[in-house]
Amino acid sequence: MATGTSTNPMRGLGWGPFLLGFVPGLLQFQLGQKKRAAVAFASCFVLFFAGWILIHERLFYWALLTPDETGSEVLRIAAHFGLPLTLPEILNLPANALGAIVCFDGSALGERLWRMPRAFDHLGGFLTGASGMLAAFWSAAAHWELRLLRDGGETAPKPPCNPALCAGMSWLVPGLGHARAGQKDKGMLMGVAVAIVFALGLAFSHGHAVDRATYSVWWIGQNLFGGGSLFAALVTGPLRMEGAPPNLDLGVVLCTVAGLMNLVVMVDAYTVAERSVFPLKQRQEPVA
Amino acid sequence: MSLLFRLVVYVPVLFLIAIVVVGQHHTTARDTLRAAVARTGRWLLWSLVLVVTMLVLELLFIGW
Repeated sequence: MATGTSTNPMRGLGWGPFLLGFVPGLLQFQLGQKKRAAVAFASCFVLFFAGWILIHERLFYWALLTPDETGSEVLRIAAHFGLPLTLPEILNLPANALGAIVCFDGSALGERLWRMPRAFDHLGGFLTGASGMLAAFWSAAAHWELRLLRDGGETAPKPPCNPALCAGMSWLVPGLGHARAGQKDKGMLMGVAVAIVFALGLAFSHGHAVDRATYSVWWIGQNLFGGGSLFAALVTGPLRMEGAPPNLDLGVVLCTVAGLMNLVVMVDAYTVAERSVFPLKQRQEPVA
Repeated sequence: MSLLFRLVVYVPVLFLIAIVVVGQHHTTARDTLRAAVARTGRWLLWSLVLVVTMLVLELLFIGW
């Protein structure tokens, strides 16, 4: 357990590390971990462009703020310089920017290309999204190292598992991060809860609830359960919709709720691993 | 959608959400489950209050 230092451990690391976290590997580079920085940058880049090959400019169709011709001039200029607001890809800023600089076209013809479905839409959308999530986990890993440097001192013990890795594992399989951090039964319970809600959503919608091409804003929430959205991208997404299922909207909402539940699970997995090094202080009873 | 169908979906989903929410404050599955049952009950009461409030508002502003 790390003993107290003069710094308040509840204090954040500030805006600097937060903003640098948008460039995968930059924080690791600052920490002097050059090999890890290269791996972080390369892994996010490769994942993004593996998806980009499949979808190209179709990605702009899923942007939160569509920078079309009738839209804001500022947005269009930002998009040309590589900043279309696509979540979670924006977390992997350099790859997202490069993709936009290479082929963003805000003209009417360009917009037609965004709207054109691609053969492996679902898989491509998942891969580019996964690159954003991976960038976030690399950033969280570097934040953890910075926190250890600031508050841990030289005698800080090693956690059972890196907190960022616990969060990343929970993104793919809810509860797995808890199991690695030492709370196996609680992790299983939380994981099963997330999986049931997601499965209910898919069942009510006959498998059509998780579809980035149709429900791109809802998909941002659904993608917080990476294992579920990967399953949907590979299995249920490509299914042809014969007619709208009667409870499609309920299914979409349930899958999104499952994603948001998994966000709580990921944060908790991070916290469980973190507290093995920085435990919460016991509240002292007032002396009578 | 019938009221029964809504309840059959709403109550279990509320319980599953409660598991994840209260799980943050416990370390074992048993404690989490126990707290989730209590939390679900509390949330159901609040849901009831919300529904009754909305019905009263509907009655006041729209009528039967």
